[in-house]
Amino acid sequence: MRSWGNGPDTVADRAVSPLPGASRMEQLVESIAERVVNLVLDAIDINAIVGQVDMDALLAKVDIDAIVSKVDVDSLIDRVDVQKIIDRVDVDEIVNRVDVDQIVERVDVEAIIERVDVQAIIERVDIEQVIQRVDIDKLVEQTELGTIIAHSTSGVASEVLDVVRAQGVGLDDFVARWVNRILRRSSEDWSPGPPKLVNPPVPVPALPLEASA
Amino acid sequence: MNPPPVTAAPLDAGRQGHYAGGVTRLVAFAADVGASWGIFTLALAGLSFAINLVTGNQVNLGSRQVLALSGLVIWEFIYFAYQWSLAGKTIGMAVLGIRVVSKDGDAITPRQAVIRTITLPLSFLFFGLGFLGILLNRDRHAWHDRLAGTVVVYSWDARAARLRWLAKQEPTTPV
Repeated sequence: MRSWGNGPDTVADRAVSPLPGASRMEQLVESIAERVVNLVLDAIDINAIVGQVDMDALLAKVDIDAIVSKVDVDSLIDRVDVQKIIDRVDVDEIVNRVDVDQIVERVDVEAIIERVDVQAIIERVDIEQVIQRVDIDKLVEQTELGTIIAHSTSGVASEVLDVVRAQGVGLDDFVARWVNRILRRSSEDWSPGPPKLVNPPVPVPALPLEASA
Repeated sequence: MNPPPVTAAPLDAGRQGHYAGGVTRLVAFAADVGASWGIFTLALAGLSFAINLVTGNQVNLGSRQVLALSGLVIWEFIYFAYQWSLAGKTIGMAVLGIRVVSKDGDAITPRQAVIRTITLPLSFLFFGLGFLGILLNRDRHAWHDRLAGTVVVYSWDARAARLRWLAKQEPTTPV
């Protein structure tokens, strides 16, 4: 009796046999197998099978950490051409899509101002330089400040004193110029007065904002 | 109409703290001599009058030269030493807008004031040779300045005076 199961004389053995007529047999078997597989596949509802699989339980058995630990992230990143990605990004397009007004409306300006150390900022401002840029003469001439000063300090005595002192200073300069000329020297290299009076010590500026933050 | 913008301009910073010149110091000293002698003369006359009033005797203290000279020397010492130690300036110096300070710019000490007063006559020796340094030296030291470790500087705020002068001008554009 011929057997279709295991054994040395099975259909499969003969299908690969180099004997004459084997090729035909082989084709027959292949067509039968193909037909059977198609019939089986048509009969099986793959979705129903997948639906019965407990994916959560399946994933729970997978050791994700072990998988990730085997991945060489650095080499992965090295292979990424970041510049190329950036070049492909249309920044203008992104910016155009941003609603700046909406962002600004969401910013709590009061909270920001409260966090600013105004005193530290003021200490970093060079007040002397700011004052140097102000034309005091014009300011006094064109504002009520001048009138206030005039009313508060007017007086014949102060005027006379101003004139006398100004004359004295003028004569001092005149004499000093002549003496320097006679002695053939320049007074530009000299200190005009005691160090503490003409070069008062500059106050040390406060630490930057990081220190107070 | 908007006022013209305030533009940057160099300021007249005045002479405060600068070494005072010889002319100002000379005029201030002359004013001090006049003031101290005037006060001394008035005080002497007042004292003579008081003695006359109390004793009924006619006494002229000015005619007693030794006594008057001794009194004058003491008075001059008090006049200068007291004022310098108190405020760093005498009446004449206050009028001319100058004051005495230490070499580095600190306020003068009573000790320096006394030394300066005692050594002041030294500068008159040899026809006032001691004052020549006011004209020739960089820090305008006289002999008594050098001995006392002091200098004379302007204390007059020229800038404030200029502002006072400007304030008296008519405002060009009201704000």
